Amino acid sequence: MSNTGPPSAGGTSGAVFTPQQAPTTTTPGPSAPSMTTTAVPPPVIPQPTTTAPSNQNLNQIVTDYLLKKGYKRTEEIFRQEVKDLDEAGRPRTQSQSPASNKVFPAGIYLSSFKHYERWVDNGIDLYKFELGKIMWPLLVYSYLRLVGQSSSLHAREFLQRCRGRFESQHTDELKALELITLSAHIRENPMAKIYLENRYVIPINKSLTGMLFHYLERELEQCGAVVLDIIQQHCRVDSVDRGPIEPFSFEAIYRRARNMDLDDVDIQEGIPGLTHRSGVANRDILENQATLKLGPLPMEGELRDDVAAELEEEDRIHPPKDGVPTLLDEFNAMHPIKKEAVDSPQRTDIPYPPSRARDVVIEMQKVRENRDRFRIEGRTGGAGPGLSVCMFTFHNHLGSFSCIDFSKDQLLVAVGTAESYIRVWSLDGKPLKSRLPPEKDLKVNNRKLIGHSAPVYTVAFSDAISTMDRALYEGQPNPETHSQLLLSCSADGQVRLWSLDLWACLCIYKGHDGPVTSLSWSPHGHYFVTGGWDKTVRVWAQDHASAQRLLVGHDTPISAVAWHPNGTYVFSASDETDKSIRMWSIANGNCVRVYTGHTDYISALECSPNGKILASADIGGNIFLWDIDKATRIKRCRGHGRGGIWSLSFGVESTVLVSGGQDNTVRVWDVEMPAEGSRPTNQQDGDGTIVAAGAQSDGKQAGSVAQSTSNTSSTGKKKGKEVMITPDQISAFATKKTPVLKVQCTRMNLVIAGGCYYPETQDRA
Amino acid sequence: MASTRDARAPAQDAGNKAAPNEQRLLWNPENVKDVAESVGIATLGEEGLRALSQDVEYRIGQVIAEAVRFMRLGRRTTMTVRDISLALRVLDVEPLYGYDATKPLRYGEATMGQPFFYIDDEEADFERVINGPLPKVSRDANYTVHWLAIEGVQPTVPQNPTSTEARTQDLLPKGPGANPALAALSGHDSPNFKPTVKHALSQEQILFFEKVQSALLNDSPDAEVHRLRQACLSAVTTEPGTHQLIPYYVTWIANQVTHHLDDLFVLRNMMELTHALICNENIHVAPYASSLCSPVLTCLIGWRLGAESGTDAVKEQYQLREMAASLVGQLAKNYHKSNSQIRQRLIRSCLRAFLNPSMTPQVWYGAILGTVAAGGPEAIRTLVLPNIKSFDSAILQPLGEKGEASHLDFEMVVGAIVKAIQSMCGDDIMMNGANGIVGEQETRLMKDFLGDILTERVTRLGNEELIRAVLEAMDFQ
Repeated sequence: MSNTGPPSAGGTSGAVFTPQQAPTTTTPGPSAPSMTTTAVPPPVIPQPTTTAPSNQNLNQIVTDYLLKKGYKRTEEIFRQEVKDLDEAGRPRTQSQSPASNKVFPAGIYLSSFKHYERWVDNGIDLYKFELGKIMWPLLVYSYLRLVGQSSSLHAREFLQRCRGRFESQHTDELKALELITLSAHIRENPMAKIYLENRYVIPINKSLTGMLFHYLERELEQCGAVVLDIIQQHCRVDSVDRGPIEPFSFEAIYRRARNMDLDDVDIQEGIPGLTHRSGVANRDILENQATLKLGPLPMEGELRDDVAAELEEEDRIHPPKDGVPTLLDEFNAMHPIKKEAVDSPQRTDIPYPPSRARDVVIEMQKVRENRDRFRIEGRTGGAGPGLSVCMFTFHNHLGSFSCIDFSKDQLLVAVGTAESYIRVWSLDGKPLKSRLPPEKDLKVNNRKLIGHSAPVYTVAFSDAISTMDRALYEGQPNPETHSQLLLSCSADGQVRLWSLDLWACLCIYKGHDGPVTSLSWSPHGHYFVTGGWDKTVRVWAQDHASAQRLLVGHDTPISAVAWHPNGTYVFSASDETDKSIRMWSIANGNCVRVYTGHTDYISALECSPNGKILASADIGGNIFLWDIDKATRIKRCRGHGRGGIWSLSFGVESTVLVSGGQDNTVRVWDVEMPAEGSRPTNQQDGDGTIVAAGAQSDGKQAGSVAQSTSNTSSTGKKKGKEVMITPDQISAFATKKTPVLKVQCTRMNLVIAGGCYYPETQDRA
Repeated sequence: MASTRDARAPAQDAGNKAAPNEQRLLWNPENVKDVAESVGIATLGEEGLRALSQDVEYRIGQVIAEAVRFMRLGRRTTMTVRDISLALRVLDVEPLYGYDATKPLRYGEATMGQPFFYIDDEEADFERVINGPLPKVSRDANYTVHWLAIEGVQPTVPQNPTSTEARTQDLLPKGPGANPALAALSGHDSPNFKPTVKHALSQEQILFFEKVQSALLNDSPDAEVHRLRQACLSAVTTEPGTHQLIPYYVTWIANQVTHHLDDLFVLRNMMELTHALICNENIHVAPYASSLCSPVLTCLIGWRLGAESGTDAVKEQYQLREMAASLVGQLAKNYHKSNSQIRQRLIRSCLRAFLNPSMTPQVWYGAILGTVAAGGPEAIRTLVLPNIKSFDSAILQPLGEKGEASHLDFEMVVGAIVKAIQSMCGDDIMMNGANGIVGEQETRLMKDFLGDILTERVTRLGNEELIRAVLEAMDFQ
């Protein structure tokens, strides 16, 4: 009874690690009770029936209770005791099936994996994809078990020989796995914990489920025992009622044609056997069913009347030119009066401070800017709109600028630096105004805001708009409409609110444990959301020192946050093992949607102004567009090089998306056009016949296209298949050695971009 | 418990068997041993050593994973010391002190059995640092503004990369579904990417062209038709959007002129159309100027224009040639800059026709007018006058003696020549009325030079200046 390592019995290891944080009750207790049959449970899991509460469950309940009450010590001791008891051969009802109790010799994991892999690979193509889904969890859990029973050599060999097929999809996870070499690590490694504490969900076609289990039963010796055991211990096989899916199967094409969810099928690359979702089953909401209210937030009645009255006055004084709608008409078009808007949230859902004169002016100016904006009318003639991009290039920054933000009236720019300070410039070169009497005559066009004690990761201006030329209220100057507040978050765990009138810090919001990674103002002001290294997303009100909502659910630190335009939902993205995007309702703090599919660190999130589409970008150069309501992926836009897409911004009409990234480009994407082209051709082949058939117009054109591709590929062979650019890219503008940190579409559809110029070519991986 | 132990046995056996392999550790266990000794653990078991090394590896990996996260949060692709520091801090480890985080570290590599890296710190001499001049203050951060794109096209300003730098072809989508016009639209077209649209005319343009054709060819005497014709011509003159139609116009004119040499009406309208095209300031006719020359020259010095004889026909013929001559002048004047050959070509053609005795009087008429129009006085002085004596004797004399039938032709040719000669002296010819008698001497000289008929005509004008110009031209010989 040496206590050096964790129990080596594969069957029990899962049980030992799980109880500390009981998975949600929908999943069955991950141990013995489910193995009522010998060897193989029949097609296991359509509806896993919960058996009578066993001791295991009881223990869990107690643990839960202790945890909840905060009796950590007691809980630990209790757990230890439970474990010991378990080890000591506590009578285990009838559940001692040979499979679960058996400790497999270390070598069998590798041979089983290989055996299973061979079976899948030699099977018919149609099933490869589905059956391949088992392999990733098989790899992870096999490895963890191997490490757990201290056969690190075997573990290493196992990983070396089996990782090949996952290299592209699970890079980060493989890296994390590789690190785990001692059984002690399993207990504390966050990723191992996630996998061991949750069940890995594998959706498989119904008929295949039967086939799979029959096979495993048949090949019990060669691989079945191990695979079955792992499936029983750690996974949940959902048999789903649809045809077998495979990137080019009928089902996939049929679904694609109807613009339905592809169920993680990667069409373009056609790598068989990948599951896009990270698969880990910490999904308290798997059904993605909650009703969403994605309509715009109705305007406050009083404010609405005020604005309408003032606009009418304005129209009278400055009647619009012929063919231009009046401001009042425009306003009514922007904010139609709907008494019972079904899809809009209620104003009472979230309290806002009463409106002020400033709000009236801002709303009026918004109407004017909306009317006079550069209109982007869909895709005319197949070419897409020509946007103008104004680029701000920063020099002499010594590589320390980590974030940029432009105020919405285009008067100020702020950068946050690794040196912990924030610097604000005026964009028009005029001196920055200050309300402090001694600084009245100070003429400087930039200021430093000093206060943070660690790198600043995000800065954000409060809402602003250019001021009105007419005095609205007699005898008084117009209320200021410039940006008065700046928020910043930093690795020191603080969020700071700065006044841009006094150039001083007004408030420090503390709460996050560890660095605060990202931040965003609510579209209506007053609230803001932050994401932290501590895996939490917090929603704050400007006038409260503590967070109003604490949104917990992500498994790894938050990498990006964004607001829904109606201000009642926030989105957050997590990195590493999680890589999911979650949508949270502010009103009740619930997670209402989960979007899974990214395989790389998600570096930017943005929601479209119409509230229907979410865009997310990762450092692999992918931009995903999601249908917010259905929680399905609309398409994937590719074209950016690796290294990170740091910023996304939608045009006012939500028809174009602008992105800027580390590859020194600003790119414009067509939101409406399907990315995948008209047919699922494998474009890497550059096959002339396919191109000719695929091009809609005359053969000559197709020929020249094919020729040009072959030309470029021959000239730049070294970067042969590096980046494939999807046809929905409207344009790409390269900068001179300037990674683009920020792109921002103004209310009038002008794109503003900011980046830091690196004189020497820095080494970009 | 027995079962557990049994189970582990094979694993450990395997581990021991492969013990040499176990040295594949990234972290050198020697290092761990050294550290252990430094804290007073003299003997460290083999197994413990290995476990500790593995643990060190794991910890380092953890730190790196965290540091990568902070690097990405800082939107960088180079990891800095600060990232590592932060990673250590969030992992509750004491951070590293004493490393400069402002610039990327430089590593030196030494080989001592296995690769060995160290930070390449230069040694600083206190004396030198203290006494040396202060380093320059680095320039303050600032920003510059430029247009990265204007309406979807990247302007070629120094702040933007050139198309070769940016490898613009790589920035465009390819493959099926990709829009082949994007390259041109985004401003970086390349020879690789030939325009695939042949030469598209919009429906409106085609309609317009057909209207023009039918209007110009309709020879009904109806006033309405005439008005429509005028409207068409003025439309061609002013319409800014007909650039794409130019080649069609040019071909059409050439065809009509070639096939309707006997139809003065058509020819005249073609010349009108040519005129309209030249006059349109919004379109760029220059590339087509030489193609336009041929039909114009045909109308100017064509052997036989118009079919029926009769005063009207003759008159129209002369009018046509007059018109063609002025067009020649316009072509030469407008396009000699962009097309250096055009003037020589026009003059040469006219002169050859002029000096050909087998031509008709109408051709000579047109030729001399064309020469003047295209070449101006200089051409008359250097090219026409030297030959005028022989022209006088060989052509004009016989023509004049033919009698009443060719009297008109004779007068026309002589008039044209006189007009040409007159062009040699300034614009105010007509204003300087007769003001004196031409001296005997001069008359004789002129007769030698110009021949009898022309001398008589020229002296009859009584323009002293003109005579002087002629005589000067003679001296020029």
